[in-house]
Amino acid sequence: MNQIVLKEDVMNANPAQKVKLAVSGICKTFRIRNANGQQSSFLPVLRDVGFDVYENEVVSLIGESGCGKTTLLRTIQGLIRHDSGTIKVDGQEVKSAGRDRGFVFQQPSLLPWRTARENVEFGLELQGMAAGERAERARKLLALVGLGHAAEQFPHQLSGGMQQRIGLARALAIDPTILLMDEPFSALDAQTREVLQKELLRIQAQTRKTILFVTHDLDEAIYLSHRIIVLAAKPGRVKEVITLPFAGERPELPVMRGDPEFQAIRAHIWDLIRSAPANS
Amino acid sequence: MTSNTLIGGAVAADDLIEDLEPGAPVKRYWLVRLVSIVAVLAIWEVAGRQVNPLFMAYPSDIVHAAYRMIASGELLAAFLDSMKTLTLGFILACVAGVALGLLIGRYRYVDAATDWLVNALYATPLVAITPLVILWFGLGFPAKLFIVFILAVFPVLINTASGVRNVASQLIDVGTAFAATERQIFGKIILPAALPFMMTGIRLGIGRAIIGMVVAEFFTAINGLGALIIKYGNQFETAAMFVPILCLMLMGVVYTTIALRFEHWVAPWRFTDDE
Repeated sequence: MNQIVLKEDVMNANPAQKVKLAVSGICKTFRIRNANGQQSSFLPVLRDVGFDVYENEVVSLIGESGCGKTTLLRTIQGLIRHDSGTIKVDGQEVKSAGRDRGFVFQQPSLLPWRTARENVEFGLELQGMAAGERAERARKLLALVGLGHAAEQFPHQLSGGMQQRIGLARALAIDPTILLMDEPFSALDAQTREVLQKELLRIQAQTRKTILFVTHDLDEAIYLSHRIIVLAAKPGRVKEVITLPFAGERPELPVMRGDPEFQAIRAHIWDLIRSAPANS
Repeated sequence: MTSNTLIGGAVAADDLIEDLEPGAPVKRYWLVRLVSIVAVLAIWEVAGRQVNPLFMAYPSDIVHAAYRMIASGELLAAFLDSMKTLTLGFILACVAGVALGLLIGRYRYVDAATDWLVNALYATPLVAITPLVILWFGLGFPAKLFIVFILAVFPVLINTASGVRNVASQLIDVGTAFAATERQIFGKIILPAALPFMMTGIRLGIGRAIIGMVVAEFFTAINGLGALIIKYGNQFETAAMFVPILCLMLMGVVYTTIALRFEHWVAPWRFTDDE
């Protein structure tokens, strides 16, 4: 894993930085059964993937489609079992889903029979929190994601962007150590996406959450992240880790796009993704 | 259709979604329906009077017979008799159908162990086993209960199982991601997600339960509304025979409507984007 630092980075300058998520040596191979159910072939998806995510950091996983970025995120969440390697959250090895990781899905995946507030309460309810307490907590989080007025609406009454905000509030409700987000804005239209990207930065600044973010959108990754992990495909492995120079106050994305440094980084990542061997 | 007006009602209560079907046309449909009802009854009345009363009755005659049967208490007694069989048999069918359906839908092994039996029995016209039921349970109440149960249970069971199988895997993933136990996944995700399917099964089961009830009343100990049909049929009192038949029709309509309303009530999100 080679790491290039394009500019002195504020975040990494701090030596006392705490590792929140430590991933090392993750391998995962899928078995694909043929149509006749007899023979099966093996598809290596992840090979020896390792990286750290530091406290308060936003890290993006990026790579061409099929590079295993979503599989990797789901593995970290415990939705998929890995073949080897370790995943540590706050120094503790984790093997299945837990309250230390909050997950935001690509599709909002809200429970349609629950109101926005009840959806946000879901994780807390599973933990057995008292109804009054969790309702209060859910209302605060809905207010944080800008949906304080829609607490008693059902998902089907809300737009895709609003649904995804509820998904974010639901993940934040359990107060996770790290937030895992799986292309959460990819199903939204361009305007809504830009609004939510900005909102995510605001929410991250307010909650100081550590975020691992999967995306295939280069601009999104550069705009949101402190660091970007570029994955190579087939099998998925870390190709390069890029530390971004835009830590702290960021201009809006359309303004940032005009920044020569932004363009240089974007071109560099684009080269990395495109130069990946497209064999097998 | 009643479903149209129900959807209209649900939409009107919801201020975020635009009402696609404004009030006026709905009212107009009702008017057309009313005219159609009056027309059919009028034609029946006029035409029915031309036919030998042995073969056909006409509405006013049936109303007259109904009045007589209500006054004598005969109709109410028969109705309550039938309701007892129907209600108890149907409740048992719902409970068993939902419970088995949940297990069959969730666990592949249970499914593999039972699917051949379920499919075979569902495909069999179960009215055919009535003689066997009489051998097992005799002619009394248990036999009637069993016939209603066996006819109504399969739609409930099959729909519940398919509801469980159709729960979106993303929703199960939500449970897993939030570290839900199997029991929590079952209770908080699978059960509510499958509820609309269950309600559809229950609605379909009602029709079959009523068929079962009438069959049981014809072929086991003769009582209830079925008994009245047989009795007045044998006495060639056609108008009086129509009264219990209309009662059965009314029962079917009322129950189905209640079940349909209940379906909308438990799963309003399912009915918002269909036409």
